[in-house]
Amino acid sequence: MKPLEQVLAPGQIQILRTGTSTQKQQLLGTIPAAQVDDLVLALPGNLRQQIFPIAPTDFRRKIMMLRAPQQVVVFDLLEAKMLRAVYSNRQLAEELDDFWFNHFNVYHDKGADRFLIPSFEREAIQPRVLGRFRDLLEATAKSPAMLFYLDNFESVRPDIDAKSSTKKVKRGLNENYARELMELHTLGVNGGYTQKDVVEVARCFTGWTIEQPRKGGGFFFNEKVHDKGQKVVLGHVIPAGGGMEDGEKVLDILASHPSTAKFISRELAQRFVADNPPPALVDRMAQTFLTKKGDIREVLRTMLASKEFWSEGAYRAKVKTPFEMVVSAARALGANVDNAFALANKVGELGEPLYRKQEPTGYSNLNAEWVNSAALLARMNFALALAQNKIPGVTVDTAKFGQGGAAEIAQSLLLRDVTPQTRATIENALKEQQAKTPGPAPALVAGLVLGSPDFQKR
Amino acid sequence: MQTSRRGFLKGSALAMFGLGTAPMWLSRAAFATEEPGRRKKILVAIFQRGAVDGLNVVVPHGEPRYYELRPSLAIPRPNGEPDAAVDLDGFFGLHPSLASLKPLYDSRHLAIVDAVGSPDPTRSHFDAQDYMESGTPGFKGQADGWMNRALVKESVPLSPLRAVSMGTNLPRSLRGRNDAISIANLNDFQVKDLNSSGTFESMYAGTVDTVLHGTGRETFDAIKIMQSIQKQSYTPANGAKYPNGKFGQSMQQIARLIKAGVGLEVAFADIGGWDTHVNEAGQLSNNLKQFGESLAAFYQDLGERMDDVTLVTMSEFGRTAKENGDRGTDHGHANVMLVMGGDVRGGKIYGEWPGLQTEQLYEGRDLNLTTDFRDVLSELVSHHLGNRNLNAVFPGYAKPKFRNLIA
Repeated sequence: MKPLEQVLAPGQIQILRTGTSTQKQQLLGTIPAAQVDDLVLALPGNLRQQIFPIAPTDFRRKIMMLRAPQQVVVFDLLEAKMLRAVYSNRQLAEELDDFWFNHFNVYHDKGADRFLIPSFEREAIQPRVLGRFRDLLEATAKSPAMLFYLDNFESVRPDIDAKSSTKKVKRGLNENYARELMELHTLGVNGGYTQKDVVEVARCFTGWTIEQPRKGGGFFFNEKVHDKGQKVVLGHVIPAGGGMEDGEKVLDILASHPSTAKFISRELAQRFVADNPPPALVDRMAQTFLTKKGDIREVLRTMLASKEFWSEGAYRAKVKTPFEMVVSAARALGANVDNAFALANKVGELGEPLYRKQEPTGYSNLNAEWVNSAALLARMNFALALAQNKIPGVTVDTAKFGQGGAAEIAQSLLLRDVTPQTRATIENALKEQQAKTPGPAPALVAGLVLGSPDFQKR
Repeated sequence: MQTSRRGFLKGSALAMFGLGTAPMWLSRAAFATEEPGRRKKILVAIFQRGAVDGLNVVVPHGEPRYYELRPSLAIPRPNGEPDAAVDLDGFFGLHPSLASLKPLYDSRHLAIVDAVGSPDPTRSHFDAQDYMESGTPGFKGQADGWMNRALVKESVPLSPLRAVSMGTNLPRSLRGRNDAISIANLNDFQVKDLNSSGTFESMYAGTVDTVLHGTGRETFDAIKIMQSIQKQSYTPANGAKYPNGKFGQSMQQIARLIKAGVGLEVAFADIGGWDTHVNEAGQLSNNLKQFGESLAAFYQDLGERMDDVTLVTMSEFGRTAKENGDRGTDHGHANVMLVMGGDVRGGKIYGEWPGLQTEQLYEGRDLNLTTDFRDVLSELVSHHLGNRNLNAVFPGYAKPKFRNLIA
């Protein structure tokens, strides 16, 4: 490892120690790629931390790889999610990616899921967010991330003796996946299944495992540990002697079940319409789900075209998730995002650490999940910090609002009229500010609008 | 006690804040604290994430098998040397890095429950923590946490600071129907720009959205309380000295909230770094030193206030009885819990010792379980917090066996 003095000239070191952010950014932009490794290794910890948020992306990545290599995967994952959300024109696809990932939640910090999640999101979820539910269900069922997260990869037929394996103690049947598959992924907790069904479904999925689970292998059906006996699932007989198709038959039964149609429709309506969506709307969506054989696009069409979607009680009834809040604020201000990781961290501070919901339930689709004191405070502080350019690596230009008053700025950020209460409060604050310092104060107004109750609603 | 209670009120945040402008719940809380015997009971839970090696925390030095199983890791029998166990009862002793807790044990304010834990066989950190925090071993469908359910249901307005976790996330234990907030740092709990704080408060007071309106009010109530706490510099009492580091800070902040009399009922903090698969000795020793000194400082700092406080520690499972080939230990089963407080029957080790012979071990390798962790927590929830509705707190666990831990 070279000392810092051999990597940079004294003037350059001086800039890194005492220069402005802009000076530092310019300097880092001029470092030749071949020198980046030396520089990252030579930087003392405090300087490295200071430049991390403002360094060019490849530079930042290098810091991660050299200093916290086990975090690189999640770092890329978070940046990619935030960048897609802020810049993609396919906003519905990003919303649905978020919805379905959460519906089929897996947790980043559970062992191998640390590196299995990227392929789960990219290959199982994203291509099917507007496809057929049955396909989405099977893609998640066979994904190593899910097999690992809900332990199905180690589920074997019950008669395999606990002592037959010396190295690892096998535990026979593992019901985790079977239970969550019905409770959380398809039928819903009151969807009409019994504990007996859980066991029968678990037996159907024995042998659905991962090739070399801790080394990132793919889906693998291990015939040797599969339970070949007859099973009865929700009244359907699955005859003895089957193999991998036992599990696939279960997915057929579940994906076409009326309880699933209702459960999925209600979840979608809770996320996009209201905490208590009108039952008539949910019924029509469920009807579409059944007649169109689980075509998600058609179910959404029914929802979006309904009169309930635009009705008094449903319009703007939902509180934005922290992810939606942070992304919509960045989009509203036209932020230039060099460091998307900083924004992802903010989402976590607002109460939704991305990829880090520990429970298989995912985050709740209800407003109550997000509205608590610490989270609300974090929203206000994020709004002020963003508008005042205090988030390193994310720049906004509020000067573009020019002489605009509170109402105009609010209108352009909210894309609708601001409520009279919020408007009057902001105008008062602006007056007080102008009494001290005359002239427009667009950063102040923008921060207040983004932190207002109005902006927290979708 | 009268003198000290007056002293406490006089110097507390409430006095600084002034009752005239206090929100309704706050004046109620204040009056409650003035009534003898009506001060809120407080439960503090500490989670040692990563599975602490209980056999080296509370050392069974009277068990010869322990020394056979751990040729390089065993803590020497008490002999007065600095690396030896600190004897408790002739059979068990504390890890030498926990010597700071010995005086608490001697004064009968610290109890130890040994061979305790979750009956679920999992050795996954994730699942075991999840089960312990939900309070429902083996059942993943429980949406909320035991500590949130432990809050006594009351119809009157409650303090926005009744359930607090130290850190940036609300832990599973505290999630649920009752309001609970997470605080990374007491001094940071505010709108960063003071002028905008008032503006936001007016906006949220004016909104017609009931959820945002209500939470906004709670938030600004909490901020006001915090501001009055923030204004006072905090010096731990009785010469207590919290060690540097995140956990010491967490404990100090919980003590600060308790002493400020802001209506705290349950608090949660966690400390990681216990997953000692390799070269355990140094890592465990450093971590235990920080852990023990933080708890000892908390106890000392609170002084008489400890009468109303019970603190309990837990960890998702224990570690293998036998050391592995890397001078460490792997994921095991039963563990140890510490219970400390004014109404704790301390100076005693609870739970039956299951022994360490191979046939006595769980699956031939781990310390066996003789006490379910829910027995301990149920007793604290019921006898300390006064919530008798244990069926709701630990669903499916109908008949907890109380150990008579609480006087």
